[in-house]
Amino acid sequence: MRKKNVYLSLNYVASYLLMGVFTFPAVWIILTAIRPDKEVNASPPVWIPETVTFDAFAKLFGGNTSTGSIPFHDYFLNTIWIALLSTVFSVMIGTLAGYYFSRHHSKRANAVFLSMMLARAIPGVALSLPLFLVFSKIGVLDKISGLVIAYTALNIPFATWLMQGFFKEISIELDEASFVDGCSMWGSFAKIALPLTLPGLSAAAIFTFLTVWGEFQISSLLARTVASKPFTVGLFDFTTQFTVDWRGMAAMAVVMIIPSTLFVIVAQKWLIRGLTFGASK
Amino acid sequence: MKRKWVMSGTAVMLMLSVVLGCAKGAGTDKPNEQTSKPASNSAAVDNKDNKKPFEGVTLKAALVGGGSYEKLYESIPKFEQETGAKVQITYKGNFFDLDKKLKIDFASKSDDYDVISNHSSFYSQYVDSLEPLNNLFSADDMKDFTPMILNGGKRDNNLYMIPRLADISVYFYRTDLYNDESNKTKFKQDYGYDLAPPTTLDQFKDQAIFFTKNGKGINGTQFAGKEEALTGRFYELVNAYGGDFFDKDKKVILNQEAGIKAATMLQDLYKAGAMPKGMVNFLWDEVAKNFGNGNVAVYSEWPGWYTWMDDPASTKVAGKFDVVRAPAGPSGVHPGWSGAHGFSVTKSSKNKPAAAALIKFLTSADNMYADSKLGNMPTRQSVWDKVLSDAKASGDARKINFYNVLNTALKEDFRTPPLIKEWIPLSNILYPYLQKIILGSTTPKQGLDDAAKDIEKMMKQSGN
Amino acid sequence: MKAEASLADRQYVLKESVFDSLRASKWLFAVVFVAPALIFLTLVVVIPMLYSFYLSFTNFNLVLKINKEFVGLDNYVALLSDSTFLLSLLRTIVFMTLAVNLELLLGLLVAQLLAKPMKGEGFLRTALMVPMMMPPILIGFQFKWFFNDQVGLVNNLIYAVTGQTTQIPWLIDAVLGFISILTAEIWMGTPFIAIILLAGMLSLPKEPFEAADIDGATRFQKFYYITRPLLAPYMLIALAIRSLDISKAYDLVKIMTGGGPAQRTELIWTYVTRLSMVDSKFALGCAMSFVSVAISFVFTVYIYKQLVAARR
Repeated sequence: MRKKNVYLSLNYVASYLLMGVFTFPAVWIILTAIRPDKEVNASPPVWIPETVTFDAFAKLFGGNTSTGSIPFHDYFLNTIWIALLSTVFSVMIGTLAGYYFSRHHSKRANAVFLSMMLARAIPGVALSLPLFLVFSKIGVLDKISGLVIAYTALNIPFATWLMQGFFKEISIELDEASFVDGCSMWGSFAKIALPLTLPGLSAAAIFTFLTVWGEFQISSLLARTVASKPFTVGLFDFTTQFTVDWRGMAAMAVVMIIPSTLFVIVAQKWLIRGLTFGASK
Repeated sequence: MKRKWVMSGTAVMLMLSVVLGCAKGAGTDKPNEQTSKPASNSAAVDNKDNKKPFEGVTLKAALVGGGSYEKLYESIPKFEQETGAKVQITYKGNFFDLDKKLKIDFASKSDDYDVISNHSSFYSQYVDSLEPLNNLFSADDMKDFTPMILNGGKRDNNLYMIPRLADISVYFYRTDLYNDESNKTKFKQDYGYDLAPPTTLDQFKDQAIFFTKNGKGINGTQFAGKEEALTGRFYELVNAYGGDFFDKDKKVILNQEAGIKAATMLQDLYKAGAMPKGMVNFLWDEVAKNFGNGNVAVYSEWPGWYTWMDDPASTKVAGKFDVVRAPAGPSGVHPGWSGAHGFSVTKSSKNKPAAAALIKFLTSADNMYADSKLGNMPTRQSVWDKVLSDAKASGDARKINFYNVLNTALKEDFRTPPLIKEWIPLSNILYPYLQKIILGSTTPKQGLDDAAKDIEKMMKQSGN
Repeated sequence: MKAEASLADRQYVLKESVFDSLRASKWLFAVVFVAPALIFLTLVVVIPMLYSFYLSFTNFNLVLKINKEFVGLDNYVALLSDSTFLLSLLRTIVFMTLAVNLELLLGLLVAQLLAKPMKGEGFLRTALMVPMMMPPILIGFQFKWFFNDQVGLVNNLIYAVTGQTTQIPWLIDAVLGFISILTAEIWMGTPFIAIILLAGMLSLPKEPFEAADIDGATRFQKFYYITRPLLAPYMLIALAIRSLDISKAYDLVKIMTGGGPAQRTELIWTYVTRLSMVDSKFALGCAMSFVSVAISFVFTVYIYKQLVAARR
């Protein structure tokens, strides 16, 4: 029994230590955002800020493009639009496709499914090169719509994969029952399957949203100016010719972490379930 | 059967409408929303005075940010008030990032800004996409600008850039370390001559190594260690050792004796620990902060940092440093890699007169004088004279020395890098090799030979 | 008896009709449900990639205004003789292998720790999700600062512990730079794997463990013979998703070292952008990007195959 107690307390210590390691960078970002400027790059580092100041946030929120300050409002709206729209589209399209693949298991269907997953495996840099040329030709370079198109396509495979797993959990008997009731294929999907997979849907949506929210490889090439730049690319505005404004950067970073934090906390359970559904079978 | 079609049809329509709606929203709605807000503030004024020349014009700009630029941009609302134009800074970054962006935007014809920040080292790459300014600026507009600096923005008699500030480095050194008696005796003992700010590169090297050995945790010197920042520093050292990057026939000669000597000096200093290990990741910011934190004895720096450096709120060395003309090489040439920051108008701009007006405003004597308070070297003769006489009038010995040194450097040592469009591509090839040499993973000769070969190839491909 | 039979008959008939209608509308079904996805992917992924593939056989340069000429395999041949490319390729493969394996190992460890009922377990599990909330680029900025040789936290911690003040050049030295980036990658990826494995561990049946206790099995035996095989499908899911995302390490490298100094820490993804965008050798960049695609495909197919096998 004593041995067990030792194990348990070791477990406690190790767990909490680990959590320290995993949360530290986020905590440090917050601290950097609220500490006075001269503490930011101090060596040795100052752990607890001597005074707390919200200057960086005030400056950030008051930014606009004509005085050359960081156009926070634009970046914020760009990021929100890009993330929301591409989430909606890719989850919508992915749900439809996922339903199909959950009900069809021919060799050909599997091959299509696998090649869709391969599309997801293409590294962002590889895809961003031709997309840059194509988008500049069709005039959606540096447009929110262009980024939405790119991200929708990129996230369809994953949404499809998640959703087909969820649909698989719904027994085919239910489908049949709905046919008996006179539902069409679409009706059965919309009235029976879809409501049952709402948790899965939200998992797919959250996951897509977070992916797009933090994406950098593609947006760094496709977003050229304030017209479409999301936060991840806008962060580089803080590295100017002469200085790197770490504190301002941290303030923006804090804003970037907030929505994802909320999402994750609220939807943790769905997210985990969504990601592990297939394994339990 | 019918229902299916209807439902899927509406789904597709819905999607399409949102996609299209979003494309529109991104393209046109937002700028309007942006322009309308501040404009409404001054609407009352606008109505009274209909003579504003650029009413309703929106100028987009891709600019450099940070330092004295931020103060400059804060004056833009004044321009907007005077002309009725609306300015949108749609991109901001450092020159290196801006250059990468501009090159790609110009090449893919996706530039949609009227005014850009430009640099004498960079503009040659994009002259094809820039508007010649000869017609937009009258001789009267330009007569105040120092001709030598203005020429740094000319190509084939066309002016492409209006300079905002001139840049030539001087050497910053720590007076507390140089005046320290024990350092002085020790140095005399070791090297056989008096410790004083370096006048030759050999002395500079001696002192950098000396301070590394004798100062606790201090690096004797440092250079910016990547991008064109490193290439440029190397370039001026090669000059000082009596060489150049190209000969008259545009043949690459940077791997000859002078180049090898310059590279060897950098390698030696790094090997001796006289430069910080992290130097190869330093850009201007890190270099300045490092000196500001009191970690460096003597190094080459842009004068624009002087005011920041001398502010006790930002550095530990305020009041404890001074400047000296860059120490000469064996050839008698003083390193003098210089350039000018400026502004240009893009060829694609739809409002060139308004764009030119903005540049005139940004480089006006008033703005330039305000900038010079922050340490910038003005490009207008009248402002420069005023700055010099201000310094004299102040009676502050350090300030007088600073401007005297600058004046000498500007008159004697001002040398831009070759004004070719391949300068930055050259730098992109060269600097990784220089890093390899500094880090000791290749010899100066081998590294420069390899670089020269790659550069020749690039020059040939680009049509030389 | 008779009534039962007729019920079964009726069900049979119903099933038949359902499948009839299924078959009849199969084509329509496919079009409505799969076509949007396929059209999207074709337009945005397949066609651009084909275009890029075509470009990789030309001498297309983004900045120099030279005519686009077909140069055959020149670009690919050029890559084979480019030592920086070969090194970065090797580095990338080592990086991917190490990252995924270490993340799995550490993920198991973390999941094992957190699977115990503890006070504040909810908080602990939420904390585990923090790295998932942070965009990779922010992680890069943070770790760049941690590993800074002058003001960085890591060196300052080492000074504090050892009393020495030799600056360790984390982001300068080739090996240390690799380790720094790998550390950031592991920090970024481990929690995700741990979360999935934790979910798996919490859903494991209790019986086998009880039986093992009776047989007097050790901790390790229980883990090796019971937990590990039962957890295999979870591991594969976690790995599959992680490996799809492994090229996100681009963000880390881009921020932490930019592939430098002297291209010592370049991974294939960062080298692609340097070639195509900075050196403007676009076609060469395209050629190299296909090497990166090939690596990712091999990696993904390998893991997917195992995933399918495990799910059966």
